[in-house]
Amino acid sequence: MTSSYGTAALSRRGFLGLTGGVAAMGALAACGGTSGGSSGGGGGGGATLRLVAVADQQKPLELLLKEYTKSKFSASYAPTDQVQTSVRTQLGAGNAPDVHVVFPGDGSAMSMAQIAQAGLLADLSDQAWTKRIPPGLKPAFQKDGKTFLYSAGSSVIGAIYNKKVFQEAGVEPPTTWSEFLDVCEKIKKKGKVPIALGAQTQWVTQLITYALVPSTVYAKNPKFDEQMRAGSASFANSGWKDAFDMYLELQKRGYFNDNPNGTTLEQQTSMVATGKAAMAIQVSAVLPDFRKAASNADDLDMFPVPGADDANQVWVPAGVVVGLGVSARGKNVDEAKAFLEFLGQQQNMNRWAEAVACVPLTRDSASKIDPVLKSFLPFIDANKAVPFMDQNWPNAEIQPAHFAVVQELLGGRTTVAKALAKLDETYRKK
Amino acid sequence: MTSTLRPAPAKRAAPPGAAARRRRRGARFLSPPWWFAAPALAIYALVVLYPSLSGIVYAFTDWNGLGERSFNGLANFSKLFDDEAARGSLVNTLLLTVAIVLVQNAVGLLLALGVHAKIKSRTVLRVVFFAPAVVSPVMVAFLWKYIYNPSPDAGLNGILGAVGLGGLRQDWLGNPDLAIWSIAGMVVWQFAGYSMVIFLAGLEGVPAELHEAAMIDGASRWQRFRHVTWPLLAPAVTINLMLSTIGGLKLFDQVYAATNGGPGHASETLSTVLYKQAFVFGNYGYSTAIALVLALFVAAVSMIQIHYLRGREVA
Repeated sequence: MTSSYGTAALSRRGFLGLTGGVAAMGALAACGGTSGGSSGGGGGGGATLRLVAVADQQKPLELLLKEYTKSKFSASYAPTDQVQTSVRTQLGAGNAPDVHVVFPGDGSAMSMAQIAQAGLLADLSDQAWTKRIPPGLKPAFQKDGKTFLYSAGSSVIGAIYNKKVFQEAGVEPPTTWSEFLDVCEKIKKKGKVPIALGAQTQWVTQLITYALVPSTVYAKNPKFDEQMRAGSASFANSGWKDAFDMYLELQKRGYFNDNPNGTTLEQQTSMVATGKAAMAIQVSAVLPDFRKAASNADDLDMFPVPGADDANQVWVPAGVVVGLGVSARGKNVDEAKAFLEFLGQQQNMNRWAEAVACVPLTRDSASKIDPVLKSFLPFIDANKAVPFMDQNWPNAEIQPAHFAVVQELLGGRTTVAKALAKLDETYRKK
Repeated sequence: MTSTLRPAPAKRAAPPGAAARRRRRGARFLSPPWWFAAPALAIYALVVLYPSLSGIVYAFTDWNGLGERSFNGLANFSKLFDDEAARGSLVNTLLLTVAIVLVQNAVGLLLALGVHAKIKSRTVLRVVFFAPAVVSPVMVAFLWKYIYNPSPDAGLNGILGAVGLGGLRQDWLGNPDLAIWSIAGMVVWQFAGYSMVIFLAGLEGVPAELHEAAMIDGASRWQRFRHVTWPLLAPAVTINLMLSTIGGLKLFDQVYAATNGGPGHASETLSTVLYKQAFVFGNYGYSTAIALVLALFVAAVSMIQIHYLRGREVA
């Protein structure tokens, strides 16, 4: 032992060589682990499939995974931002989960269009349920005519309201913009906050614009998105200006709670659930949270926000809910696709939709629709519903820019013209 | 054994000049302490240095994290200087850093002086003041969101109202002029105790005899602090200033959890911008360029600080 140390030059070199060798082997092993994906699938042979989804999908997935016996799944759920960070990194590294969350349409870093464009999503077009996708919703599911996303249905944006507060103020859900302003005024006179707004939670900032834009933009020009892509339309010269003006009118008239930019979604939820505020303009997916916060869940109901003075010109936003896709480079593509085919069966779509309070992609006699969503169905059936605006935007920067300009508008830091110019500038980014 | 491994330099004829210095340095790297450090260094190199250095190349590409990448020269760096949000975030980062460095260390020093005094509850107080530093910054930010509730009867506003200072109620996180200072407040609350512990270690090292001698010479309490304690605290000051500066420059968790950079971009920092560019917008190349500039900036500021602060330390 001592003698081996004694030949210092050789042993040092040997030692360092060994250390370097171990490090190099480690590096090679690490590289090997991330590059083993192959397309095709079928090689799983009873392997456990990895599934990563967002927290909103946990309830329906747990329910349906219990009944699916053809493959085993290792499922994990996390908040949207965490999943977005980790899954996109795994997609880039070539070791994405077999089944993972995908956002509908375009406009986000984890959206169907952006991942499919990179060739990382398996084509689901041969599955039976894809033939039932309503034409108006196809852009959310398809790119270049191929279906890459599974989603169980649509959620809507409208006013979640406290029926007791409405009764105390002697008002009914309005059907035109003027009526909406009258309702707010009467509630304000009763000493209640007409609209709770938790704009500190950034995604909440967009909901009022999204509720109004279907009426101010798409009811007048259903081809607005195509024209935007072609460069022949702009936010600044469209009904978006009216929507922002209406948003600020609500603030100017004192219909929001004080300091909306400092108020969170949780505070907004509590205000409506406890009757301090009459309503919140929100997406139907958060209804379970509002119900949990209320002493009696039946006190809450929902109505479409009328963004026009002619009730026939009122349209509503109905966006495809966050869905799932199959990793094209996974080892278990066929097994993963078989699971999505199972989810696409009508009875399973119904169960998923019921669990997250959304309207099923297609309906049959067994479809149970949350009673509070029934006032939206006539709009959906009459094709007066448009996907959430960001689902048709061409890059992931526009939506955060929208959050920022709304906060700046509420804080008096910008004007409607500047806000729209900022959105147009961001839309045109490559 | 020692002599075989590292022959005493005195026994060798010392070759003159730079070649000799290089040889001595080479011998030092092959000495036993380095053998023991080598496995850890190899792992560090593999999991930290190699990914960090190999990542630099992405700063010169338009990579979106998914598809192919193509080199775009210095386009990401010129974009950084033209990007209004990035420029604003740099200003916010610097303002936050200055505020945090000054206030956190001033409060930390006062706390250290307080709990260094011979008071009965000093052990308990040391634990209480240090406790926030061990909590996750994200948890602290969520806690402070409740404290900063804008309602007049809740959180900090409620306390101000209760003590007759209702006129000072604010929309702490929702007011664009106030948001970064509110964040600085929560960072100081969390880490002042951390600075206190480092100052406390410095205070423990100040010999009592020097204070006694100064007292005999008639020095006042302030003169003893100014001329005895403060010069001997210089190493603790160096460490505290360096750590709080680095912490301020790369501040992320608290901002992300409390305001996510809002309202608008009012509290955006370089770290939140680079996070959003990568993981929200998918601009991995541009994000790497921001990260590279931030890393170089932090390194430069730290080196300048060390150079000046080490110079004033008492041996």
